[in-house]
Amino acid sequence: MSSASLNVEIRRIRDLAPGIREFSLSRTDGDDFPIYSGGSHIVLSLPLSDRPHRNPYSLLGDPTDRKTWRVAVRKQEDSRGGSRWLHEQAREGMRIDISAPVNLFSLNRLGRRHILVAGGIGITPILSQARELARLGADFEVHYAYRAPEYGVFVDELEALAPGRIHHYVQSRREQIEFSSLLAGRPLGTHFYICGPGGMVAASMNAGKALGWPESHLHSEQFLAPTGGEPFDVQLTLSGKAFTVPSDLSLLEAIEQQGVDAPYLCRGGACGQCELEVVDASGELIHHDLYLSAEERASGKKIMPCVSRLKGGCLTLNL
Amino acid sequence: MSTLATKSQPIYAELEWDRTGTHHILFVSAEDAALAQRLLSNPPGGTLTLVHLRPADDSRSVWSQNLPDTALYLEAHTLAEALEVLRDAFYVAQMGTRIYLAGSEDAIWQVSQLAETFGVSRDEIRHAQLGTKARPVFCVHCRTITRGVHTNIVSCSGCGRSLFVRDHFSRRLGAYMGFQIDAEVPGEVPAAEVAYP
Ligand code: FES
Repeated sequence: MSSASLNVEIRRIRDLAPGIREFSLSRTDGDDFPIYSGGSHIVLSLPLSDRPHRNPYSLLGDPTDRKTWRVAVRKQEDSRGGSRWLHEQAREGMRIDISAPVNLFSLNRLGRRHILVAGGIGITPILSQARELARLGADFEVHYAYRAPEYGVFVDELEALAPGRIHHYVQSRREQIEFSSLLAGRPLGTHFYICGPGGMVAASMNAGKALGWPESHLHSEQFLAPTGGEPFDVQLTLSGKAFTVPSDLSLLEAIEQQGVDAPYLCRGGACGQCELEVVDASGELIHHDLYLSAEERASGKKIMPCVSRLKGGCLTLNL
Repeated sequence: MSTLATKSQPIYAELEWDRTGTHHILFVSAEDAALAQRLLSNPPGGTLTLVHLRPADDSRSVWSQNLPDTALYLEAHTLAEALEVLRDAFYVAQMGTRIYLAGSEDAIWQVSQLAETFGVSRDEIRHAQLGTKARPVFCVHCRTITRGVHTNIVSCSGCGRSLFVRDHFSRRLGAYMGFQIDAEVPGEVPAAEVAYP
């Protein structure tokens, strides 16, 4: 495994909204959790049947609360099992393993103002960032878009952190964030952070770039759930393993099931940590990640096994 | 001298407009006709503010001559005055602003530090060395910065130690590192040579 794991107990399960549940976790050894930074996520190892199933979730509680960590999980309808297990099988008192926190969406502390934007369940990392900014006494505002009033989870916690600085956009009321006006005329030194659906993230990035925002001030997080696909064969040159990736496992999960240690951080196609070298591919590489550049994809020499696969044929990897 | 120290000497790329920006602030503190011509004959889109540090005389400057009509021209006669003008310019500046600093290393890195206090990141700011090569030197012993150093050995304006001027430049301090040269044998100081004209 890539990062040290901790054993935790599910202390409390709360239904927050239709299809959204919150889980409070405590260490089974009674020790304190480490302090994490706003925007961090952990990877939950879920005991689904006989195979490893690891899903990343953002930590949303108070980063300085060392007794309890909280995550919120939306039930994915096309889920291959992780979020469904958490919604249907998980019970208070159950024990699971989690990874240490990793932050791929951290705040820039030199910023003079921070604009946080959340779409739907994307509120989870935004909430821990808001807490950190509130604690630092920083200048920030939150823009939160959700489907209908009942989906606006954590609004009370947010309101308490930044009274009057939380803006709501409720889709069922036809309210929508206009990124070109949200980002226009902002003072020098402003940072923008967004976590939400792909289309929303892309729209905000385009608006920012058109207004001359440099990349260093535009921060986004978007995790992709690995999608299933056709089974394909894999050969690993270094470990000498040969196996088939079934349709309901990601390439990374299949490698892990073989007992081969492969690196990862986000398991969502964003961080680049899991990159593997393709030695040969007798089929089409189906890239789903957000990490590789167009040239890297075209070269056919790299793959991000947490979300990407091969269509037909056999994939040989230098692992 | 270690290679590590040599490596930290800033390398200045040719100054170009960053046309992804929508507002531009240019600070210049030296004459360079070719650069002025190249930059000002093809200005970027959006607003342009030129902050010009120049002596208080009537001499014509290549910078004010070629300026586009729409540009805002602000003149300062001392670096302190220029820093005040720039502070105001940064205060009202919006995201989308790109900052260009062309002049002595002492001046451009002081402006750079000011910009950083406004939360400006490295991809929003460009530096070019023009005019004097004189170095600001940070005394590692008493932490005073001696400015306008042309020689490889200088007496620290803070503690009076004889400092050898290294090529190690700190962006944070905006200065080159100076180490006492006669630490082992006090009083044995080689003759200083002009190294930074
Ligand atoms: S683990 Fe982050 S891109 Fe695959």
